[in-house]
Amino acid sequence: MSASVTSLVDGIRVNGASKRFGELDVIPPTDLVVAPGDVVTMIGPSGCGKTTLLRMIAGLEAPTAGAIVIDGVSPGEARRHKRIGFVPQAPALLPWRTVEDNARLLLDLNRSANRGSGNDPLPLLERVGLGEFRGAYPHELSGGMQQRVGLVRAFALGADYLLMDEPFAALDEITRADMRHLLAELSEPTGAGVVFVTHSLAEAVFLSDRIVVMSPRPGRIVGTVGVPLPRPRVPELEDTSEFFALETQIRAMLLAGAGR
Amino acid sequence: MRRPRLETALWSAAGAVGLIAVWEALVRVLDVRPMVLLAPSRILSTFVDDPGPYLQDSWVTARHLLAGLAISLVISLVVGAFLAAVRELEHLAQPLLVLIMVTPWVAYITSVVLVVGGGQPAVVFLVAFVTIPAFVYATAEGMRGADPAARELFASIDASRWEVLWRLRLPSALPSIFTATRFNVGLGLGAAYFAEGAALRLDGLGDTGRRAAAFSDGEALWTTILCAALLGIAAQVAIAALERWLLRWHQSQR
Repeated sequence: MSASVTSLVDGIRVNGASKRFGELDVIPPTDLVVAPGDVVTMIGPSGCGKTTLLRMIAGLEAPTAGAIVIDGVSPGEARRHKRIGFVPQAPALLPWRTVEDNARLLLDLNRSANRGSGNDPLPLLERVGLGEFRGAYPHELSGGMQQRVGLVRAFALGADYLLMDEPFAALDEITRADMRHLLAELSEPTGAGVVFVTHSLAEAVFLSDRIVVMSPRPGRIVGTVGVPLPRPRVPELEDTSEFFALETQIRAMLLAGAGR
Repeated sequence: MRRPRLETALWSAAGAVGLIAVWEALVRVLDVRPMVLLAPSRILSTFVDDPGPYLQDSWVTARHLLAGLAISLVISLVVGAFLAAVRELEHLAQPLLVLIMVTPWVAYITSVVLVVGGGQPAVVFLVAFVTIPAFVYATAEGMRGADPAARELFASIDASRWEVLWRLRLPSALPSIFTATRFNVGLGLGAAYFAEGAALRLDGLGDTGRRAAAFSDGEALWTTILCAALLGIAAQVAIAALERWLLRWHQSQR
């Protein structure tokens, strides 16, 4: 993929996509562009529809109206060609597979769509500190370790886009901080586009190039904030005044979006 | 706290010895008739006197049980997978499954013999038939219970239906299938023993037991009963070993 020229079809393009569940208006018509290599976070209160929007991008849910295009093809097509690495909220490790086999899971399924660029999960497991645990079963791991396997599983796919649905929501605060630092370390060299759903201000500011702030349901985009912090993102950034200022700004937008 | 394995085994062995001792004492003290209950020592001496026929009968019954359970499991995996996939099918199958579960075999064994023929086919058919509901329920429920997040993950890279079935749903159903197997061994053994006696077969523990009962031969009757019980225990031990190996990842094995 040429990173220098961004044509009209490159990236994730959400064109007026909306979602209704029966009478329930979950997402009003929404426009969003995630350029290749962009890290975009969607932040908003619980139940605002950000997960639904992510699932529509992943092709797991069809929009009621409007369209979503990923590098010129439909999300369904992107799924078929394994161009999306999905990280669900729960680690969803298969308990009968070892750590290594879980990390390899997405490569083992729908094999004909594997790309040469698929990574070997072993070095990735080493990098996240799970090299010694490659033969262990998921029940032998802590929650944080399980979610690290979940990240490796997605990265091993070598996909162009990573879609992450509050992957650290179930972890304690200290582990969460470690995980966002690890995620930045893993994703920055790959140049993959990332859409990250969270309701953590620190995660949004630390990881993103851009932050999309959403209102409570129906989840409207109330604003987009660019994050001018330098890359690579290092943990020390979290103690800077710029970081605090961005957190404050996002918090204010969330409150304004909620009508408070 | 988990007890060491040796200690667990010792307690179980003590229970078995105690049971046999009480049994022996009861029969002797109350002078129970052999047809009602035979003392363990006399069962043992009957068996040791001429073990050949009992071993042969046990082998015949074991084969009936194994064949019936295998056929039932294969059918149930296919049926269960369909039921797990389509809710309406499960509702549709519900009356039949419940009917199979609650209807006494004694009542319809004659029809079975008339339809599939006497002897081995009738015995294997009955074992398979009565064990199907438990296997089907276990398969359908286990498969449907597969982790929804894992299903999304499979969908996110467009895994085929076959991959979802084989790599996600079937392993998810294994624990409940094992539970059903343990239940079905007892059920199937009962069905095999009964059908052998009722299906005009001339060997098998059930047939020998039926004839012994007809001739008021308490020794032979109780020896077939004990052989059937030992067969059931052997099957349970084999299943437990298989389970420990296949489900080493599951919480029940920790």
